[in-house]
Amino acid sequence: MGVVLADSSIVVLALPEIYRELDTSVAGVTWVLVSFNLVMALAAVPAALLARRVGPGRAAAVGLAIFAGAGLACGAADGLSTLIVARCVQALGGAAAVTAALELLPATVGSERRAAAIWAGAGATGAALGPAVGGLLTELVSWQSIFLLQVPIALAAAVPILAVARHEAATGIIEPELRSTGRPHLWANLALAMVSAAIAAALFLLVLLLIEGWRMSPIAAAIVVSVMPLAAIAASRLDVHVPDARARAAAGAILVSGGLAGLAFLPKATVALTLPPQVLIGVGLSLVLSALTETALGGRAPQAIHGGWTISSRHAGVVIGLLALTPIFTAEIAEQRHDAIDAGTAVILDSPVSPLLKIDLAARINTRLEEERGKVPTLGPVFEPLPTDPTERAEVVQLRDELQDQLDRGATHAFSTSFLLAALLGLFALAPIGLARRVDL
Amino acid sequence: MSGRGPLLVIGAIVASMVLVGSYLAAGGSSYEPEQVKDPCEPRQWTDPQGLQELAQQFSLSALDGAACQLGVSRETLARALATPQARERFTERFGITDAKLAKAIRAGLIRAVDDAEEAGALSPLIGIPLRETLQRIPLDQAIEIINETREFLANVESFLGPAGTILEELLP
Repeated sequence: MGVVLADSSIVVLALPEIYRELDTSVAGVTWVLVSFNLVMALAAVPAALLARRVGPGRAAAVGLAIFAGAGLACGAADGLSTLIVARCVQALGGAAAVTAALELLPATVGSERRAAAIWAGAGATGAALGPAVGGLLTELVSWQSIFLLQVPIALAAAVPILAVARHEAATGIIEPELRSTGRPHLWANLALAMVSAAIAAALFLLVLLLIEGWRMSPIAAAIVVSVMPLAAIAASRLDVHVPDARARAAAGAILVSGGLAGLAFLPKATVALTLPPQVLIGVGLSLVLSALTETALGGRAPQAIHGGWTISSRHAGVVIGLLALTPIFTAEIAEQRHDAIDAGTAVILDSPVSPLLKIDLAARINTRLEEERGKVPTLGPVFEPLPTDPTERAEVVQLRDELQDQLDRGATHAFSTSFLLAALLGLFALAPIGLARRVDL
Repeated sequence: MSGRGPLLVIGAIVASMVLVGSYLAAGGSSYEPEQVKDPCEPRQWTDPQGLQELAQQFSLSALDGAACQLGVSRETLARALATPQARERFTERFGITDAKLAKAIRAGLIRAVDDAEEAGALSPLIGIPLRETLQRIPLDQAIEIINETREFLANVESFLGPAGTILEELLP
């Protein structure tokens, strides 16, 4: 289940690579992420109903097989549309597997309550771990390997479930008819959607900032964003000490918002400054996702259907977050790029280097900007070779650093509005959290 | 909420406020590209060391004056004048004809003389005839200045003719 839910975010760090290799736009590549989450949101509840009808063992086995097959197609995709279609099919299989898993878990772990807690924890850990794992695979192997590696994992997970599926087929022990499922927990699911939108934005925007804004490699970005899952894992035992699910949900939403606001107000383009906000977001997401999932499932039956609603809410939130924020930050990137170029031009014009060198540098920087086609360029090579005269060399080095600083300022500031809006989404989740009744699990 | 719940919520609020407060205190709300100056505002002239520096100050003032006239930033105009292709893109984007651009450049050159005089870098004895020359400079020559910035800076003396020689002598 963790693999399927990690898949919601696992491609985040691969997006810049996919963007370059498939020669698409930022908005286009966002659909690699959006399509999976959209289909998960739409298919989760019907998949849960299907699992109740055909049996969770069979639904999970078929779901995992579809997930694996579509993963293979994703890995082999040579165009954006093929990749997006394969991602949609992958989400269909994933929805079946995840919702059926919630029906299968109580028999394995002993109780529905424990099953719900494990299921919720796996979801939170999967979502947090996804980007780091995806980044490592992208850098060490390729973006295709992210999907290809899922094939054996999904097939291996299907093997023990096959026995259950065979048993269901042989005995016909499945739900004879759909019993009343009760209404889904509106407030918990609404809060889940809002918080998931904020968390998706945090992961997506931070990765874009590191790779596209600060020009880091996917592996370096993966190491940086691994702080978030590490913090989430460290905080996962807090539920033992604080049994009050509403308090954990509220604290989690506040921490996620606080972390996002921290990222919106970064005072410098330095990786170290992203770490404290990431810790807050990691701890927050662990608290809020598990608390809200437990609340949505608590005292409700059957678990698969209500689990389906939580999956649907979470992924709908991710879709809303991505679709709402993508146009905002792409517009901000264009504006900040223009401002940074203006500020850089002012730095060149006012610098003490000789006028002829300025003109040469300006022409080289122009060429570099055109080569980078709208991305934030690294200006170092433009200034090579540095002048041999020590005074002139010092002036050119200072000019280079000041120019790069202006570009870094623009790249960082371009994400501020989106991070702030995401923080607001997290804060708004406090309203439904406050309205959610306390549930004793 | 009961037990440790309120403590957890208070802890979350405090942690968030400390983080955001410290980032704001460190300048997080103003970490953005520096805003470019209004070209219509007078710009401080530094003490030019040699003719090339004077020419540079003069060019910057001229850029300011022309940009002010066209209603764009000095930086945008400077990039537009870097290559003929960039100039073409600029005139298309802002709907500016070559004649209007040349007129603005001429106005900018005259403002540069004014600024130089005001800064004490140019004597009125030079400023008055130079201004007269620039006022009469044909439009196509003004465009040529735009296209030949490199040559202008490299051969400022020959470009300015006798005025350049006098300027050289007047400089400290």
